[in-house]
Amino acid sequence: MSALVAAFGLIFDPFVLMVIAFSAVFGLFVGAMPGLTATMATALLVPVTFFMSPVPALGAIVTATTMAIFAGDIPAAMLRMPGTPASAAYTDESFAMAKKGQLELNLGVNLVFSVVGGLIGVAFLIAGAPLLAEIAINFSSFEYFWLACLGLLCAIMIGTGDPVKGFLSLFIGLAIGCIGIDPAAGFPRFTFGNVDLMSGINFIPTMIGVFAVSELMRGAGSIDEVGHMVQEKVGALFRGIGEVTRKYWRNVIRGSIIGTAIGALPGAGADIAAWVSYAMAKKFSKEPEKFGTGHIEGVVESTSSNNAALGGAWIPALVFGIPGDSITAIVIGVLYMKGMNPGPTVFLQNPQLIYAVFIIFILANLLMLPLGYAAIRGARRLLSVPKNILLPVILLFCIVGSFAMTNSPYGIVLMLIFGVFGWFLEEHGVPVAPLILGLVLGELLESSFMTSMIKSDGSLLGFFNRPIAAVLGVANIAIWAMVLWKAWRGRPAG
Amino acid sequence: MRLSDTLLAAIFLALAAAIFAMTTTFPAFPGQKYGPDLFPRILAAGIAGCCLLIMLRAHGRARAGHAEHWLTIDAALRDPKRLISFLLVPGGIVFYLVAADRLGFIPTAFLLLMGLFIWFGVRLGMALAVAVVATGLMQWFFGTLMRVPLPRGLFMQLLYGG
Repeated sequence: MSALVAAFGLIFDPFVLMVIAFSAVFGLFVGAMPGLTATMATALLVPVTFFMSPVPALGAIVTATTMAIFAGDIPAAMLRMPGTPASAAYTDESFAMAKKGQLELNLGVNLVFSVVGGLIGVAFLIAGAPLLAEIAINFSSFEYFWLACLGLLCAIMIGTGDPVKGFLSLFIGLAIGCIGIDPAAGFPRFTFGNVDLMSGINFIPTMIGVFAVSELMRGAGSIDEVGHMVQEKVGALFRGIGEVTRKYWRNVIRGSIIGTAIGALPGAGADIAAWVSYAMAKKFSKEPEKFGTGHIEGVVESTSSNNAALGGAWIPALVFGIPGDSITAIVIGVLYMKGMNPGPTVFLQNPQLIYAVFIIFILANLLMLPLGYAAIRGARRLLSVPKNILLPVILLFCIVGSFAMTNSPYGIVLMLIFGVFGWFLEEHGVPVAPLILGLVLGELLESSFMTSMIKSDGSLLGFFNRPIAAVLGVANIAIWAMVLWKAWRGRPAG
Repeated sequence: MRLSDTLLAAIFLALAAAIFAMTTTFPAFPGQKYGPDLFPRILAAGIAGCCLLIMLRAHGRARAGHAEHWLTIDAALRDPKRLISFLLVPGGIVFYLVAADRLGFIPTAFLLLMGLFIWFGVRLGMALAVAVVATGLMQWFFGTLMRVPLPRGLFMQLLYGG
């Protein structure tokens, strides 16, 4: 109880509240600008939060991402361009509604059910994370090794692309994570005598490169393309919401639960949650033929789902230190930087910080109603900020932010290399999220693997001796077999 | 720009071979057969496995009559104006890396922004105003507030001496 009181004390501090308010506006802006994603918002925020204590730093990230995922729905409906990939699943549906003159209803539904979905996701986080932490406290290096493997496997299984290329990206990420001093023996690997490389690949500039610079490169090539904006006044947003709730409350609940579950699965985030929920809504609908013609049902379910996924993704991140999506991959890096190593012990040692995260989530979702309303009212002006001014300013921000992480040009060089590399990989259909997950999880995976090897004296059977480790190990092998089978079946007969 | 799957896999296969070759110089744990070389070797084998699978699939497609070009350049990048816009992003970063230490943060950032604004067709007055405000804000936030040692260069030396 005292931890809860302490958490309230940490949050309701003028500086923290100010950070939350600023991040909310930042998140809404980034989310609403097509081409700028919630992950990019987080990557851009990290250099700023680097200088803050843990609570405002986490507050900034939670608030900005919550807002960004909702704000992505605004240009989806008005311009037929999703503001973030999480809105892509129902962009056509939203735009079709706007063309039918239902823009108000669409945006109102997006706002209200984003809040509801977000709150349900947080409820699962609050209920589930401490319970799981109690189980996880007994885990040894064997269980952590299998969990990290499972996390990485899920990232590829659930990804929409080619699993073989997903694995390739993952292995490359893990290999990049090997650069620097090795965690078991302290031997410098792949450093070529370079002092900067001995400290390893700093993952914030890497992330800014992969998620922001590569996106800017793509954006620069198409800077003169402008979407066609729906010309409709936005007035009473909340008219008709009551009726939608009465008719589709089951969709809200189902979307939120599925969103939370997909968010909690390592590697899959809000965008995949929205796709799955949209498909689910269509499958169970009484009027599936109306989907695609401007029908609200799919929008209700998937907009609840993508916001619920945000809370869900924090469950494995806080309990095991395994990211649920690319945003929490960044969060885990931030937690390590703050000396708050994620894992079940945080729940014992710093419960006030965990409670603070829960409170910020609730606060951010509640704050979304008035701020989201204001963003929708001001959307026309917001969306007319020209890209040709935005792009150079973001580029400069990336440069300065990466420099600030290492206090040397090394950060900028890393950002440049990984920006170009990330772009190159995506051009070839190789997803970049597994690479980042590999980079973040590499050390945990290797140190738990090497510790387990030493404990079991080099015998692989030791990995199956403890009951939970055995279950996790068998699950891993089963999924491996499935993925390999899928990859083999995907090979055209020739 | 897109290389064929076979070429892409060949590049990463070479990378895997290089990783494996480098691990041969790593020492083992005292009294154990393995050491810091074990994990990177597993990863190199993983990369190689994926590459072989990708090559095998590409070979299968080629035999079925769907051979890929070695190199495909998409239409957007064939347009010289778009290509330059695209290259200006990494080019701008390289410019900053080269110039910042000598000129200092403020002039480099200002020149970078002005150059990009003018290329992307922002009106001169607007470009000037945004470049000054953005550079000033970043210097204030990172340089003054967060105490990041942004490069001082010639500019600050002239302004403050030393």
